[in-house]
Formats: sequence, structure tokens, C-alpha cells
Amino acid sequence: MPSKRHSEESGETGIDLAPMLDFVLNLLIFFIITTSFVKAAGVEVRRADAETAVNREDGNILVAIRPNGEIWMDRQQVDLREVRGTIERLHVERPDDSVVIIADKASKAGLLASVMDAVRSGGIEEVALGAAGSSGE
Amino acid sequence: MRLRRHFHSEETSGIDLAPMLDFVLNLLIFFIITAVFTKELALEVQRSGAVAGQKESGSIMISISAEGEITLDNRLVDVRAVRANVERLHALKPNYGVMVVANQNSQTGVLVQVADQVRQGGVSNISFGTSE
Repeated sequence: MPSKRHSEESGETGIDLAPMLDFVLNLLIFFIITTSFVKAAGVEVRRADAETAVNREDGNILVAIRPNGEIWMDRQQVDLREVRGTIERLHVERPDDSVVIIADKASKAGLLASVMDAVRSGGIEEVALGAAGSSGE
Repeated sequence: MRLRRHFHSEETSGIDLAPMLDFVLNLLIFFIITAVFTKELALEVQRSGAVAGQKESGSIMISISAEGEITLDNRLVDVRAVRANVERLHALKPNYGVMVVANQNSQTGVLVQVADQVRQGGVSNISFGTSE
């Protein structure tokens, strides 16, 4: 018995928690590092297919445009005039995030341009157009 | 000494790990629940302030009508032909970017397809404007 370092000398036997603690701490660190607080749009849209679409690691603020012209961001429907204020608020919270506009296939390009301008006037210059990757990837 | 439950009965005293373990497990559960593994795929498109009709110097112009017809180099082309045309023009003028002018009422799907084709054609400097 003295060869086992952590076991108790007395008659009662306890489980050695140290290896479990190591494991749990590793898991914790993994989840802290990989977590990204994505500001989801809150609606599903049909994205257009694009073969050259690339993964945006910092594209954490999503703005969705539905075919009927509704704009959704941060899980609520917003007016076009509210987009700028919302972007400003989110930009202050997390300055490194960029915006991905996920416009429905059938939405109008004019509205997309207006939303893009609103996002840029809200202080985020990095704007990308969301797309669905094709079968290749 | 018997009253203190987790301490060893001998003289060596260890730190009680149980409260720390509870705390760490709670943190772990929080991060597991909030973790979102989304991969947002996107195309990089610049916004151009150019007004319609005003030809921007040093760029290949592609226009999209309200009906989704694509005009490139004064010719009506199919979506699938954009790539080849851009490749040809890019070979002629390697420094030129591409300017896509979409009608206000054209569909975003066509715009994304055109931008995708242009990127396949080897030009990644795409700017986007709208026309009335």
C-alpha cells in the first residue's frame, strides 16, 4: 500500500480525483478556446450556391435578408433604419467581428446594397456575402 | 481530526479539491452548451459607391438586369459563360478588377452566382453597385 502515493493510509478508500480533474480542465480549455459567440440572425434563408465561397472565421455577426424584404439580426426582425444602430452596438461589444450578410436567393439586390451601406456606416468595413458551399467541400 | 471529512487522518494535509471540481464542471457545462460550431461560408465583395452609368475606369463591367440577364462587354451572356469571359478579359488586362452593377430589383442569387463565376475566372477584386 505505501507504493500508491495518493491512496489514504486509513481503511477507507477514496477515488483519486487528480487525473479526472486534469481531463476536465483540458476539456474546459478546449471549449473556452473554440467557443465563438455568434450573433445568429434567427431565421433560415436559402443561400445561393457558390463554389469559391471561403470560411469566414471572424464572420460572427449575421444579417439575414428574407425574400419578402424582412431583415433579421441578433434573433429579431429589424427595420432597415435600425441596422446601423444595431451594428454599432455589436461592434462596440466585439470590435474584431466582421459581418456576413446572408441574403435569400430571391431577395432584391437593391435591399442588399442598402443593408451593406448601413453596415458600413455602422463602423464595420469587412462585409461578406453569405453563400452555400457546393458539393465539393 | 475525525470531524473534517475529506482530510487525511495522518498529519499531511491536502487541499480539498471537491469545491473546485464542482466549479470547473459548471464552467465546462456552460461552455459545452454555448459552443456553436457553425462554419459561415461567404464571398468577399466590396461595395462600390459608383452610380450607374458612370463607368469606373480600370474595371471589367458586368451588369445584371431586373430579369436576371447578364451583360458583359456589351453582349448578353449566360451565367455559365461569365467565367470564360472574365478569364479572357483578365488575361488581356491583368490589373483590372470586376465591377458588378445589379439592377435594384434583380435577385441576389444571380449576383452571388456571378460573383462566384468571376472568382473562378481568377479575379477576386469584385465591387458591387446597383442601378435604378
